[in-house]
Amino acid sequence: MESTSPTPSVDLVRRAQRGEPDAQRELIVAYQHRIAGFIYAIIGRSDAIEDIAQLVFIKMVRALAGLQAPAQFESWLFRLARNTCIDHLRRQKLRRIFTPFAPEHENVPEPEGAVGSEELDALCHALAQLRPQDRALLALVQEGRSHAEIAVTLRTSVAAVKARLHRAREHLREHYQPNHEN
Amino acid sequence: MPENTFENITNRTMKTETQVWSDLRRHAATQLRPGFADRVVRAARAVAKAVPSLTSIFALSAVTVAVCFLVVALSGDSARDAAENDFNLAGWQKIADAADEFAVNL
Repeated sequence: MESTSPTPSVDLVRRAQRGEPDAQRELIVAYQHRIAGFIYAIIGRSDAIEDIAQLVFIKMVRALAGLQAPAQFESWLFRLARNTCIDHLRRQKLRRIFTPFAPEHENVPEPEGAVGSEELDALCHALAQLRPQDRALLALVQEGRSHAEIAVTLRTSVAAVKARLHRAREHLREHYQPNHEN
Repeated sequence: MPENTFENITNRTMKTETQVWSDLRRHAATQLRPGFADRVVRAARAVAKAVPSLTSIFALSAVTVAVCFLVVALSGDSARDAAENDFNLAGWQKIADAADEFAVNL
């Protein structure tokens, strides 16, 4: 597995903006694991992670030239990932209107052992009860982003981030019940 | 054994949650197959080639508009020709009628 390198420099972002494939590749390697985790937190299905991650990074490569502030690359990339995930979930919802699944095909569980541990399963279950926007918010916090950075990513105010985060955490706690705490 | 105070319970829960979030990220990272970055860069280049440029989209639109104008102009011309023919035919018909009348009077 390719290792994830530390936060890339502005210079690397600028080189990628000029269309240098090596710089674009380096950027992808630097963020692929973090973006994969972020996508999983929002989508909740591990079998969709690679496809959506690929979509996010293709969008990144195509739109990078239009990024005005290379220093804000990280916020921009996470906003791109969040919007891509939310679009994916909306499309999935629409598809279900036109081709409704039988009840047994709704919420098909992940394959045996795909999730890993009971705690992780419980977290995925709890996240599934929240709105995708709230899942994205919690995932950004777990990424170590400050309230101010999240506000930039979500294009909102710090106060709004704090309020929404408080509500999202409350909801998560209501639904997060790993077996050992029961 | 630590007391079951609110802080202890909250801290314990928070720690567990943080660890589980790390598990989530680790699990997600394992879903990307080796060579992911190379595949993405290749796919992005393929998409860039497949998608037409803005210039070619504008050129195609301009050609379509030109063809439409040409069709409208040509069909307008043929409609005008038909009207002119009818007018001329009516004129000739009048002349023929007048000639017939003249012949009868003779």
